[in-house]
Amino acid sequence: MHKWEPKSKKEKYTQRALTFAAIALVFWSALAIDIQWSTMGGLSALGSVIASFFPPDISYVPSLLQPAWETFEMAVVGTLAAIVMAVPVALISAKNITPSITIAYPIGRAIIVVSRSVHEIIWALIFVAALGLGPFAGTLALGFRSIGFLGKLLAEEIEGIDEGQIEAMRACGANQAQIILFAVLPQIKPRIIGLTIYRWDINFRMSTVLGIVGAGGIGYEIQSAMQRFRYSQAASVILVILVLVAIGEVVSARLREQVT
Amino acid sequence: MSETEERSEKESFGTVLDVENLKKTYGTGDEALKGVSFEVGNGEFVSIVGPSGAGKSTLIRCINRLVEPDSGRVFLEGTDLTDLSKGKLTKIRRDIGMIFQEFNLVERLSVMENVLSGRLGYTSTLNSFLRRFSDEDVSFALETLDRVGLKEFADNRADELSGGQRQRVGIARAVVQKPRIILVDEPTSSLDPEISRNVMNLIEEVSEEDNMPVLINLHDVDLAKDYGERVLGLRDGQKIFDNKPDKFDETAMDKLYRGEADE
Repeated sequence: MHKWEPKSKKEKYTQRALTFAAIALVFWSALAIDIQWSTMGGLSALGSVIASFFPPDISYVPSLLQPAWETFEMAVVGTLAAIVMAVPVALISAKNITPSITIAYPIGRAIIVVSRSVHEIIWALIFVAALGLGPFAGTLALGFRSIGFLGKLLAEEIEGIDEGQIEAMRACGANQAQIILFAVLPQIKPRIIGLTIYRWDINFRMSTVLGIVGAGGIGYEIQSAMQRFRYSQAASVILVILVLVAIGEVVSARLREQVT
Repeated sequence: MSETEERSEKESFGTVLDVENLKKTYGTGDEALKGVSFEVGNGEFVSIVGPSGAGKSTLIRCINRLVEPDSGRVFLEGTDLTDLSKGKLTKIRRDIGMIFQEFNLVERLSVMENVLSGRLGYTSTLNSFLRRFSDEDVSFALETLDRVGLKEFADNRADELSGGQRQRVGIARAVVQKPRIILVDEPTSSLDPEISRNVMNLIEEVSEEDNMPVLINLHDVDLAKDYGERVLGLRDGQKIFDNKPDKFDETAMDKLYRGEADE
């Protein structure tokens, strides 16, 4: 009789070996971070710091509305600027429609890699150094990081589109720009909208901390309150951020429902 | 009959498409075309039949160079398409309509926008961006939509239509190009038999009313014989039959589908 086995023996052993390796890795990394149990006596200090956050100083909240709005604006402007830049980057970074696989394609990919491998905080430090303190530096930081994220995902989307529509436009004598306008963009439009909203959500959360390095927004308030040991004020800032992020979450979820 | 007289008179205007010794081998080593030659006369309806993999689709696509042929010549009203620069090729493609098996409509655009996309070759890039077409183009597109029986669907999104309706949009898109010839690649393979006949009737109607030459790939031999004024039989990248449909009998059929390839 023929017996059916879901996996060959070799596959089975490989899978077991990988499982053990994964468990070993967890133990190894636990040891490697070298927890200093002796200093954990400071836990009581942590407790007292946390206690000093309460109750939050609610009277401080009205003065946070302006920086909260600034945070919102940074996320919106940074994300919109990024999507405007990301679409052309995606168009040259998609293998199937790039104008040149030897020149444009590597340039596009390089933009994506550079943008993605530098963290927002580092971008913010760079722009604060170059342009001074303030929300403009933060907005640029969000934008520069988002180009890579949006560009990469849109390029992948373009590589998966229906080539038949491109073929049809080519056959009727459309030029490359017209092919993009009529056969490529309509196909990726829902994804452009969805990704923009999703990235805005990420940027909104990220923009709440950019202030810590002086790049504008509500993060600066946390920084200054902490430095002056005004923990109850810092608590209000955290509270406001919490509410903002919750609102952002709901808004982006609602908007994304609309496009899919 | 006056109709046949009329047609023979039109045919006397001469050859619209002249294909000479077309060859294509794909990178995979697949010899899709091994030197195919034929002509299509003015207003002529020519069916291409043959087993799957005979090279029908490659042949059609080598004519407007969606697939680049390795050698051979393609003349459209005397212009050699095979040695045109990219820019000139784009221009001359306006004169070659094409209808596809999978319709290849831009699914997310309206029916009207799909039909108007047939005029892109005559529209500037800026106006394409603004979705702005000339008044003549718009009224001709509406007229053509009416002709294919879809006027009331002008503002529907293409993906809301049924298969048969979508193929009608595909036909309208080719017609608004005002081409010199229409290439058709298996227009009915995604449709059920009754709808297939409707679509074929429409293509035939366009061919007759506009005196439009049609070169059409069909895997359905009955359709090919019923609608074709001439039938080309393709097998293993070679033309082995080229005659009137009534000459395409059992023997010819056997040779095309079951016989040994001539070596």
